[in-house]
This record gives sequence, structure tokens and C-alpha cells, in this order.
Amino acid sequence: MENQSTGQKPPKSWLVESILVTLFCCLPLGIVGIVNATKVESRFYAGDVSGATQASADAAKWTKIGFFAGIAVAVCYLIFIFLLGGAAILGGLQSS
Amino acid sequence: MVQQFWVAFNRLKYIFIIVLAVGLILLYKNVDPAAGTLFPQCPFRQLTGYQCPGCGSQRAVHQLLNFHVKEAFSLNALLVLSIPYLVLGFVLEKISLAKKLLIVRKTLYGPAATIVVLIVVLAFWIGRNIS
Repeated sequence: MENQSTGQKPPKSWLVESILVTLFCCLPLGIVGIVNATKVESRFYAGDVSGATQASADAAKWTKIGFFAGIAVAVCYLIFIFLLGGAAILGGLQSS
Repeated sequence: MVQQFWVAFNRLKYIFIIVLAVGLILLYKNVDPAAGTLFPQCPFRQLTGYQCPGCGSQRAVHQLLNFHVKEAFSLNALLVLSIPYLVLGFVLEKISLAKKLLIVRKTLYGPAATIVVLIVVLAFWIGRNIS
């Protein structure tokens, strides 16, 4: 069992990306990503290569969902701000 | 023909990412997110009133880009502390590893280390709200 996982690199654990999502997207999905990263590493070094690959795919999925959810929230916020700003300018024009 | 299209597309993709990155760096360097309403605020904080592990990271990036490490640290210590760890993790992921580096990787980013990362993030989350 152990020979299978020594001298090899584990599948991508998405740890770095998950931490970035936790820090910048402000969503619990980053934490889910980190939990999946722990699964990738522990399964791989326990000799469960296929389980580690499965966990890697899960980690990728949740990290990407977190990333795009963060971008979507930011874009919605910017649209909201610009609409509000536009309305305020129009309101200002009308009242003057 | 199709292949040429993808080559061109990939080149443009990287140019787009670089332009976007430079734009964001200039924006965050010159505009303080604490001052205006231009930057999105944390939905978790607005809903609950508590800070999440990422709260203050935009303001911290602004301070870091202006070389104010101390201010950045007080805004989001986790962000400042994790930068070297993230950079090293990124590099180790991209390059192929000889046996020695593989051991380094296992120590710093392996099963035990990822659990420590999880505990640190959760502890930071709780700690910043009770102190």
C-alpha cells in the first residue's frame, strides 16, 4: 500500500485556492474547500489513491463554486452601486 | 485552423488576465476600500454583524500595496501571514518535485498540515470576534 503513494505527488488538493476563496470571497465555501483538501492529503498518504482523486474533484468543484459565487456577489454589488449612483444623478438633475 | 484559433485565444486569455490583474493592483493601491462604497462589503458581516476570516482583506491589500505592513496586519492578520505559505504552496504545485521536495511538501501541505490550516482559520474566525 505504502509504495503506491511514496515518491509521487498527491492529486491537486486545491488548498491554496481554498484559502484564497476563504480570504477574498468571504464565503463558507472556502472552508469546505479546505476540508476537502485535508481529505485529499489524508487519503493519498493512507494509500487510497482513487479516494484521493475523488476528493480532489470535490475540492475543485467547491472551490470553483465559491470563487464564482464571490465574483457574482461582487458584480451584483457593483451593478447595484452604479444603478444607485445613476438614479441619484438623474434625481439631482431633475431637482435642480 | 482550429488549432491556430485556440493558440490565439489562449494568448489573448493571458493578456486579458494580466491587464485585469494590473488594473486591480492599481485600483487597490490608489483607492482605500475603507473610504468609499465602491468595494463590495462582506455579506456575512452585514447579515450577522460578526467578522468572517476574510473581513478586512480588501483594506489589508490596499495597505500592503502601499507597504504599510503593520496596518495590513491589524486589518487581517491571517491574510498577511498566509502570503508566504500561499506563494510556496503555489510554486510546489506547479513544479515537478524530487524526493526531498516531496518530503517538504508533505510536511508543509500534507495531511497534518492541512488540518492545522483548517484549525488556524477556524480559530482566527472565532478569535477575532471574541477579542
